[in-house]
Amino acid sequence: MTSRGITVVGYAAFVLVAVGLHLRGTTGRSRITRLGVVFSRAMRSRSGRVGMVAGWVWVGLHFFAR
Amino acid sequence: MDDGPRASREATGLGVGERTPRSRSVASALLAAVRDPVVAILFLAGVFDGLAGNVIHSILLLAVALALGRERALGGGRLPSGASPDHGTLASTTPSPPAVAVLGAVAYAVIVGGFGRYSWPATVAVVVPAAIVLVITWRDASYPRREVAPLDPIGAIAWIALFVALALWELAALLLQPSLTTDSQAHPTISVMTDPALATHPGRSIALLLWVALGWFIMHQ
Repeated sequence: MTSRGITVVGYAAFVLVAVGLHLRGTTGRSRITRLGVVFSRAMRSRSGRVGMVAGWVWVGLHFFAR
Repeated sequence: MDDGPRASREATGLGVGERTPRSRSVASALLAAVRDPVVAILFLAGVFDGLAGNVIHSILLLAVALALGRERALGGGRLPSGASPDHGTLASTTPSPPAVAVLGAVAYAVIVGGFGRYSWPATVAVVVPAAIVLVITWRDASYPRREVAPLDPIGAIAWIALFVALALWELAALLLQPSLTTDSQAHPTISVMTDPALATHPGRSIALLLWVALGWFIMHQ
């Protein structure tokens, strides 16, 4: 497999693991929580809220703005 | 004989290595700022983004890091009074946006997606709403929106490990580029992989719609 293939497969694996964790969290019988709850927990503090929104702003700037 | 420093210490009643209450308070304030993981993450991201040549993005991240750090140093940034630190019910789901908001988001995505990537119209169309949301969040005191039960340690570790591993994977791809400002097809970052899709109008519109949806999701947590 090429270096590019390995890199892309790695990203795909992260996506699959994230989806798997989230789905496992939706069952309600797992110690894993779904992603929305993780976000809610991380955003309970002011710095968590502002930091998360700053990250969202950065994504928009990074992909579209000069 | 010049015993100025010693005389000065004796005059203030302080020995070698002792600090004034003011210097102690400054040090503890700085420590409080640095110990906030959000401040540290934003600061490091800003530094690396600056090294990668994205000056404006770097300034945004560093400015937010410094503003949050200053607030933490001054004793702010904690949970609002009345918020329970560890007890609560499971979070409910994010509310669905009203139809008019969905239509507005689609119209925004279609129109702004027609602008060239990294053009000034696209920059303004992204920076202005993003800045408004950031200011609203900065002033917002109605949080937490809902009480959330503490995460199970196993669950927290699983999610943190995933995000850290993803960040390291992206960092490895970035460092394997010929330089920080030169893309590599052999070791593509997420940005490089999304370039072909974002080169088209439909691709940009879909990405913008996803970005707006993510913003809606975040704002309602």
